[in-house]
Amino acid sequence: MSAVVEELVSGGVRLAVPLLLASSGELLSERAGVLNLSVEGMMLTGAFAGATGALASGNAGVGVLAALAAGLLFAALQALLSVVLRADQIVTGITANVLALGATTYGSRVFFGDGAADSVPGFDPIPVPGLHSVPVLGPALFEQTALGYAAFAVAAVLALGFSRRTSWGLAVDAIGEDATTADRCGLPVRAVRFAAVLLTGAVSGLAGAQLALSEVHAFSDNITGGIGYLAVVAVIAGRWRAWPTLVACLFFGVAQSLQFAAPALGLHLSAPLLTTLPYVIALLAVSGLVGRSRAPSGLTVPFLRGA
Amino acid sequence: MSPPPLTLSAPAPALRTAHTRIAPVLRHPVTVGVLAVVLAGAVGLGLVKGAGTGPAVAWDALVEGMFGSSYAVGSSLNSAAVLALIATGFTVAHRAGLVNVGGEGQLCAGGLAAAAVGTTLPAGVPAALGVPLVLVAGCVAGGAWAGIAGRLRARRGTSEVITTLLLNFVGVGLVSVAVHEEALLRQPVTSSETLPQSAPLPEGARLPLIGGVESPATAIVVIAVVAAVVTGVVLRHTAVGLRLRSVGHSPAASARLGLPVVRLETGSLAFAGAAAGLAGAALVAIAPYVLAEHFSSGYGFSGLVVGLLARGSLTAVAAVSLLFGFLTNGGINLQLAAGVPASSVQIVQSLLVLFVAAAMFTTTRNGRAS
Repeated sequence: MSAVVEELVSGGVRLAVPLLLASSGELLSERAGVLNLSVEGMMLTGAFAGATGALASGNAGVGVLAALAAGLLFAALQALLSVVLRADQIVTGITANVLALGATTYGSRVFFGDGAADSVPGFDPIPVPGLHSVPVLGPALFEQTALGYAAFAVAAVLALGFSRRTSWGLAVDAIGEDATTADRCGLPVRAVRFAAVLLTGAVSGLAGAQLALSEVHAFSDNITGGIGYLAVVAVIAGRWRAWPTLVACLFFGVAQSLQFAAPALGLHLSAPLLTTLPYVIALLAVSGLVGRSRAPSGLTVPFLRGA
Repeated sequence: MSPPPLTLSAPAPALRTAHTRIAPVLRHPVTVGVLAVVLAGAVGLGLVKGAGTGPAVAWDALVEGMFGSSYAVGSSLNSAAVLALIATGFTVAHRAGLVNVGGEGQLCAGGLAAAAVGTTLPAGVPAALGVPLVLVAGCVAGGAWAGIAGRLRARRGTSEVITTLLLNFVGVGLVSVAVHEEALLRQPVTSSETLPQSAPLPEGARLPLIGGVESPATAIVVIAVVAAVVTGVVLRHTAVGLRLRSVGHSPAASARLGLPVVRLETGSLAFAGAAAGLAGAALVAIAPYVLAEHFSSGYGFSGLVVGLLARGSLTAVAAVSLLFGFLTNGGINLQLAAGVPASSVQIVQSLLVLFVAAAMFTTTRNGRAS
C-alpha cells in the first residue's frame, strides 16, 4: 500500500515539474496582462528542439540550450504579434499552438524519419545523499535529474523575485492591472510585457526539454498533449498567486498519476474524468466559488499609448 | 453652441502615423488577405520542396482534394458549414462585446446531446421528426453550455474569455467519458476491438443529403447559409442588432438608456453556444453518424479563428469558412496523393491566420477587432 502511495506521489511530482516550470513563467506573463495561450506550443517546440539538439550533438546539455533558444525564438514571435502589433492574444496563442504542432510534426517526419527520435541522449536522476531515502517525499523530490533540480530553482527564483513584496513584482502587477496608468507613472509597459513573454518562452522551452530529455528520453508527435494548456489553467486555478499555483500544479500532477495508480489502489476511476478534473477545479476557483479571485483587469487588453 | 460629438474612444495618435505611412490600397482588408495568402503559400511551397515532392504534383493533389470530385466538394462544404455556424454565433456575441472562446466545448455539448437523443430514437423514426429533434437537442445543449459562462459573468463578474476557455476542456472531457462508459453512450462492447464511440444514429436522425448520391453535402450547408443570412439581416437592420451593438460599445451607457444589458449579453452568448451546439449535432448526424472521441477535431477553435478574422462581417464569415473548409480537405489529399505531410496545410493555415492577425492593426482604428 505504502509503495503505491509513494509511486503516486513521486509520479505526481514528476508530472508536475514541467507544469510548475511553465506556469512559473505564465504566472508572470498573465500578471503583466498577457494571456499567453501558446505555452503549449512553446513547450512542444522546446521538446522538439531539445531532442534535435541532443540527438545531433550526442549531448543532453546542448539539447537544453537548443530548447531554451527555440522557446525564446517562439516567444519573440508571439510577443511581436501580441505586444508590438497588438494582435488578439487568444487568436495568436491558439494559432501559434497549431503552428507549433504542425511544424514539429513536419520536422520530425523530415529530420527524424522513422524511429530515430525514439531514443535521445538525456539526463539521469541524481539522488541527493540521505534525503532521497526519506519515505514518500524522498523519491518524489530528491531523485530528480539535473534539469529537474534546475526547474525547482528557476520556479523558486521567479516566484520570490517577482513576489508582491519586491518592486519588480509590484511593477508587473501595476502593468497588468492598468497599463495606461502604469505608463503614465513611467513604467516601461511594452518592454515588461515583451520580457514577460520571452521569459515564459524560455521556461516553457526548458519544460519541454524536461519532458523530452529527463522523462522519456525521446520525442514523439504532440509529446506535450495539452500539458501547456494545463500550465495556463494552473495559473488560473491558482488565482494568479504563486503558492496556490504551486499547489494546483502538484494537484494536477497527482490527478494525472492517479490514472496509473488507481488500479493498484483498487479504485475504478474513469481516466477521462480525471483528465477533466483540473479544468473543473480551475472553473470553480476562477468563479469565486472556492475563495475570492480576480483576474488582472488588463489581461488580454493590448496597450497603446494615447489610446 | 452645440456640444462636441460624443466619441466612443479617443483617436489614437500613434496609429494615425501608422495610417499615413501605409497607403490606403495596402491597408484594404482584401489586399492584406491576398498578401497573407501569397506569403503563406510561399512557405507552403518550401514545405512541399522539403518533403521532396514537386510543386506541380502537390498543387494537383491539393486542387484534386478541394474540387476534384463531387465527394471532395461536398465534404469541403460540410466542413465550411460547421465553421460558418460557429463563426456566426461568435460574431453575434462579439457584437455585444463578448469573446466566446468556447466554441469547442459548446460543439462537444451539442454533439453529446445530439448523440444521446439520436441513439434513443426508435429505428423507424421518420426523418421529418428525427432530424429536427437531434438538431434542436444540439442547439439547446450548446446554448446551456455557454449559459454557464453567461451566468457566471452575470452573477460573479467572471470574464467569459476564461470560463468559456476552461469549459472547452470540460466539454471535450465529457465526450471522452461518455464514449468510454457503456453505461453512458458507448456502443455495446462485443469484442476487444469495439471502438470507444456511440452506436450509430438511426436512419431517420441522419442529415439528408442535398447534392445527390455522390456528394456528401448535407442539409447543414443550407442551414448554415440561412443562419448567416438571417443573422446578418438581424444584426444590421433590426432593433435587436442595434441594441447588441450598443451594449458592445458601452455597457454603462446602454444601461443608462434602459437596455437590459445583462440579458442581452447572456442571450448573445447563449446564441453563440446554440450555433456551436447545432454544428456539433450536425457533425454527429453526418457520416459515420456516431459520436466518437475527438469528433470535434478542433472545429471549435478554427471557428473562433474564422469569426475573429471575419471581424463582424457575415460575408467574410462565409468567405473565410469556405477557404478553411476547402483547404483542410485539400490538405488530406495532399498527404494521401502527394506524400506531403498533412501538417504542411496546418502550418500554412496557421501562418495565414497569424499574418492576418499581425496586419489587423493597419485596418482597424484601435487595433482591436471590432
